[in-house]
Amino acid sequence: METHYIVSMSPHLRSTLSIERMMQTVLIGLIPAAVMALYLFGIKSLIIMVLAMATAVIVETVIERLTNQPLTYKDCHAILTGVMLALILPPSVPWWIPVIGAGVAIILGKMVFGGLGNYPFNPPLVAWVVLKLSWPERMSFFIEPHTASQALTPLMALKEDPSLFYSYAMGDLFLGNIPGALGTVCALAVLIGAAFLLYRGVIRWHIPISFLGGVALFAAILHAINPDIYPPVIFHLLSGGLLLGAFFLAPEPVTSPVTPTGMLLFGFLAGILTMIIRMWGAYPDGTFYAILIMNAATPLFNYLKPKEYGRVNRA
Amino acid sequence: MALFTKGITFSKKVTTLTLEVIDTPLPQRVILPLKQYIGEASQPVVGKGETVTTGQLIATAPTDTSLPLHATISGTIKDITDYEDATGTPSPCLIIEGDGTDTWAETPTTKEEKALSSFSPAALIERIHAAGLITTQLAPVPLTTDLVPIDQPKTHLIDGQRITKKIDTLLITALDKEPFLGVNRSLAGQNNKDLADGITALRIITGASFVRFVVDTHSGPYTQINELVAADEAETTTLTAVNGRRFPIGLAIPVIKAALGREVPLPYGHPRDVGVALYDIATAIAVGQAVNTQLPQVDSLITVGGGALSTTGIVRVRIGTPIREVIDACGGFREEPAKIILGGPMTGMAHYDLDIPITKETEGLFALSHDEIQLSGDYRQCINCGRCVAVCPVNLLPGILSLYCAKDRFDMAEADGLFQCIECGCCDYVCPSRRPMVHLFRHAKRQVMET
Repeated sequence: METHYIVSMSPHLRSTLSIERMMQTVLIGLIPAAVMALYLFGIKSLIIMVLAMATAVIVETVIERLTNQPLTYKDCHAILTGVMLALILPPSVPWWIPVIGAGVAIILGKMVFGGLGNYPFNPPLVAWVVLKLSWPERMSFFIEPHTASQALTPLMALKEDPSLFYSYAMGDLFLGNIPGALGTVCALAVLIGAAFLLYRGVIRWHIPISFLGGVALFAAILHAINPDIYPPVIFHLLSGGLLLGAFFLAPEPVTSPVTPTGMLLFGFLAGILTMIIRMWGAYPDGTFYAILIMNAATPLFNYLKPKEYGRVNRA
Repeated sequence: MALFTKGITFSKKVTTLTLEVIDTPLPQRVILPLKQYIGEASQPVVGKGETVTTGQLIATAPTDTSLPLHATISGTIKDITDYEDATGTPSPCLIIEGDGTDTWAETPTTKEEKALSSFSPAALIERIHAAGLITTQLAPVPLTTDLVPIDQPKTHLIDGQRITKKIDTLLITALDKEPFLGVNRSLAGQNNKDLADGITALRIITGASFVRFVVDTHSGPYTQINELVAADEAETTTLTAVNGRRFPIGLAIPVIKAALGREVPLPYGHPRDVGVALYDIATAIAVGQAVNTQLPQVDSLITVGGGALSTTGIVRVRIGTPIREVIDACGGFREEPAKIILGGPMTGMAHYDLDIPITKETEGLFALSHDEIQLSGDYRQCINCGRCVAVCPVNLLPGILSLYCAKDRFDMAEADGLFQCIECGCCDYVCPSRRPMVHLFRHAKRQVMET
């Protein structure tokens, strides 16, 4: 029998990292936050997550079928988009909010641009903004953990009365015993997941650290100016969607810059924007808006290239 | 020294290699391509059916950039015909049917006992050329073409002006081009009587004031190199140890950066443009042998590896041996290989034919199993993750370049540094979308060159 050998260009070895592996690792990294959501807000949070995931996968598959594209549900990106969206929704939303949201995330956020790799904005955040603008009351209705009574998130309270932040124990913020969106309330769970992602090398430190650094710097300056009305750095770091945004949403590969300098600046500016919106904007938490605005600027950051090796001017 | 921090690090497991040299039996036939590298094809001086001895001159070099060709086994010239050479393209080749005796040609025994230092650069170059040596640091070329003799400096066009740079440093690298290859690491760990002479000869030719060794921290001990460094009382010989598991530190452009901090101008730059003569330890030893014995190069060391082979290691083979015979000498295949590669797994060339010959520039022979390789297949859209940017040794944005190349925007790719790419394959290795970056870049380079 004549044997045939494969002929292709070098390199002949490749790393085992693939898109599927990346997405699966991020999903694993979200498990602590999802488990905490289940513990704090009960079975309803699971329903929200499952509905969002299922809708995302179904919508993506239907679109790919209709447009004769290869099916991509196996790469787990649709599932991830669904979970990510669910985790930034308030726990009290009716069932059709995650369904519409996941549909919007996949159609408007991802597929109209050509699928994974082409979209300019983070799909879950696109859906979040659409939901926020369409049903503002439902998207601002937060509840106390373990109960169904309406409550204000720390950042919403801050908008009402700046001095209210003293009534929050930092331990509660850290462990998630506060009202807030499903996956964002427990800082500890998000940090555990983030540590896992950093360890596995799926996200790199540049964006999260500069993001948190930007927020911390801005908050520290404000706090130094007037500690009575500007909360301390740790309050800002632990409240709202900041940690989830900094570790899971902002470093999303497609919508973030590729160069180290670009990543650092991207994160830092997103942090500053977050603080500006939190302090003087119309919305209590600026994290998601800041990320979306910086997403739009991502192509510009790719001009911040490292110096090419040995480049000579060919005048 | 952290002058070179990019690239990829392979784990110890995948790069472990026995550095013992295995001798292979004489091949039954050898195939010697007449066209060697950049110059014109050599002119055969023997005819079909003639008997030749090992080391006999069988083809002469018509120009300075060609090489003379020597028989590497004794036997009869079976044919002078077109045959597939190491690039997989047919070219005229001499085929020698071996007689199994390995009779050497009568060598001129008039061996003048002249101190090496009294030789002129031209006399040394003459001997190196006669031995048919090559260097493969940037691309395989005759060593004499690559050398810059002190009395005949070569100029280079940079920034629109001609620059003549004197060679000040002779960089002898004990690193292999890839961590999977091991010839230089193996040679650096042994004692070789010709190494010191080879270095002296290269110093005389280039007029380099300094010698710098580059060694791999994960290999060793380097007894002889350390002795050479210690023996030099003028302290012009120094040693740099780098992490050899970090690919592509062994390639010419990164190794100069890692050892000396100098950046070779790209594209089309040459180490001589920054005053460096870069040769690996195998070349230095071959130079020493050529100068001392005046014998031509008939065998070379290659790394044999890959999961589909029974025996792996450093193998001494006659030049011109068909790879099938090398594989048989190593005990054959353990399993059906997926890919046969001449060179290393990162930068080598895949072949479909086991009858092509080992040539002077062959550094490795790999038979990779199906488990080891990963094909691009249906590669996905770039997801902009920036992993390629983090590893690119020449600081390009490979992902964005690959988008330009895939969309036929070669002009934009060129403006963004397409020709700076040294085709190391790091971006390809890390890409989670499995984009065939090097493939796209080579395609684009060819398209640009042809227009």
